[in-house]
Amino acid sequence: MLQRSALTYGLRLAVLAAALGLWQGLSAAGVIRSDEFPSMSQTATALWDLLTQSALWSAVGETLEGWAFGLVIGVAAALLIGTLIGLNGFAYRSAIGVIEFFKAIPVIAILPIGLVLWGATLTTKYALVAFAVFWPLVIQVCYGVRSLDPVVRDTTTVLQVKGLRKFLMVILPSAAPFIATGLRVAVAVALVVDIVCELFGAGSGIGERILLAENAGPTQYPQMYAYIVAAGLLGIFLAGAFTVAERFVLHWHESQLAAKAVSENQGYSERRRLASVA
Amino acid sequence: MSPNKLTWLRLLGRGATRVWLFVVLFLAWWFWSEGSKSLYFPPLSQILKSVWDQWVTGSARAQLATSLEHLLVGYVIAALAGIGIGALLWSLRYVRDATSPYLYFLYVLPAPVLVPAAMTLFGIGFTMKVVLIAFAAVWPTLLNTLDGMSGVDQVKLDTSRVLGVSALGSVFRVVLPAASPQIVAGLRNSLQVAIILMVVSEWQASSDGIGFYISNAQQSFDYVGMWSSFIVLAIIGIIANLLFVAAENRALHWHYGARVVEGRTR
Repeated sequence: MLQRSALTYGLRLAVLAAALGLWQGLSAAGVIRSDEFPSMSQTATALWDLLTQSALWSAVGETLEGWAFGLVIGVAAALLIGTLIGLNGFAYRSAIGVIEFFKAIPVIAILPIGLVLWGATLTTKYALVAFAVFWPLVIQVCYGVRSLDPVVRDTTTVLQVKGLRKFLMVILPSAAPFIATGLRVAVAVALVVDIVCELFGAGSGIGERILLAENAGPTQYPQMYAYIVAAGLLGIFLAGAFTVAERFVLHWHESQLAAKAVSENQGYSERRRLASVA
Repeated sequence: MSPNKLTWLRLLGRGATRVWLFVVLFLAWWFWSEGSKSLYFPPLSQILKSVWDQWVTGSARAQLATSLEHLLVGYVIAALAGIGIGALLWSLRYVRDATSPYLYFLYVLPAPVLVPAAMTLFGIGFTMKVVLIAFAAVWPTLLNTLDGMSGVDQVKLDTSRVLGVSALGSVFRVVLPAASPQIVAGLRNSLQVAIILMVVSEWQASSDGIGFYISNAQQSFDYVGMWSSFIVLAIIGIIANLLFVAAENRALHWHYGARVVEGRTR
């Protein structure tokens, strides 16, 4: 087992080295024109320069700020509204069609509305991220709340657990795996929408820096690609952080225990499938 | 009352429950905005009129056609490439192991950041949009195909071998069908990505398409035009979703049937 993983890591490094070498070779041989696509060494140098300066980190910080604000607003609204809808059968049957309808609207469609209402400002960024996060999540919250075990529900009624206490101690834990699935999508969508907003000038961050580097012309292209790589790394970091947090918070839940059993047999595929189908 | 009539009433009640909120929301928007003098919130009647005049019968129809062409070509390429490359990687275990972290990197990379780069490489024409849409939309399908195929029960593979099915035959008869629910999930994800990239690429760099129309409307402070493009994009998304669900139900009919038989509801 150890040998195989050592081999895998060796192969991965070899692939990376080969790809980077090919990139450099094509640039050096003139197949890729340097005024269209910078060489690997130029890009790597630009990335290193950015990493050691504060420029990259302030861009990452601004992007993360928009991501986090929008996410918090969207998640809070989805939890509140999703719970209220999920708790009432009539409300659920009435609203679920409307929610499905809004969920099918492409996120990008509301960008013009955001720009009409708030122009190229931070408010637009927060609002659009929150909107994009809200719909896929609220539907999961509804499902989660409705999946409450009838015995548990009746017990809560008999013990007269009500209001906020009921929400925090009964509903939220029981709906947690559904919410986690929705959140996993929300985390990724929020980053994409956040960066799209920046590309259109609504707030600053990585997207804005990429646009600036592109407008500045070929001398800045290495920086542009360095920021693109940074955006991908940020995506990996956020997805990874979410997985760790989920395992930490939900370690007690049976879906996690099942997922753990599965992942010991088949790696991540089954868990990803559970997430993507749901 | 006859029992027949009772069922009818119940169906009617169920239908009404599903519909009334749509009606209320629509009417609320309609009447609340009707007398609106605000530039930012034009009356809904005016927005819908502009949708009809511009997008259905007017000049923006050409933009709509261009956009849908970009979307269709890019998405079809992404879907075919995703399933094909995914299947290829599934059969080459070492290649799969060696490349998986990089595939994942491209999957989580927020694809709109590639728009400026694609402009420098491919200009602002048809090629750029199709390449960008295909490149961004390929990853969800590819990774889901790979995962779905890796998850196929070994017993099924062994059975087909014992029954004398050739290696290629078992890919088409056993592996692809078994992986299809997940491939469909990937295809749906890819479609959402493709729609986003369609608009962003046209908006940033173009002389045609819905994105170009929006960017024009924004620069000329044509707020009715922006609201109408929102409606058009929403309709595209909803129709695409409906078509997708219909195709999925048809293609995966046997799968849901089988799952019900197994005692698990969907």
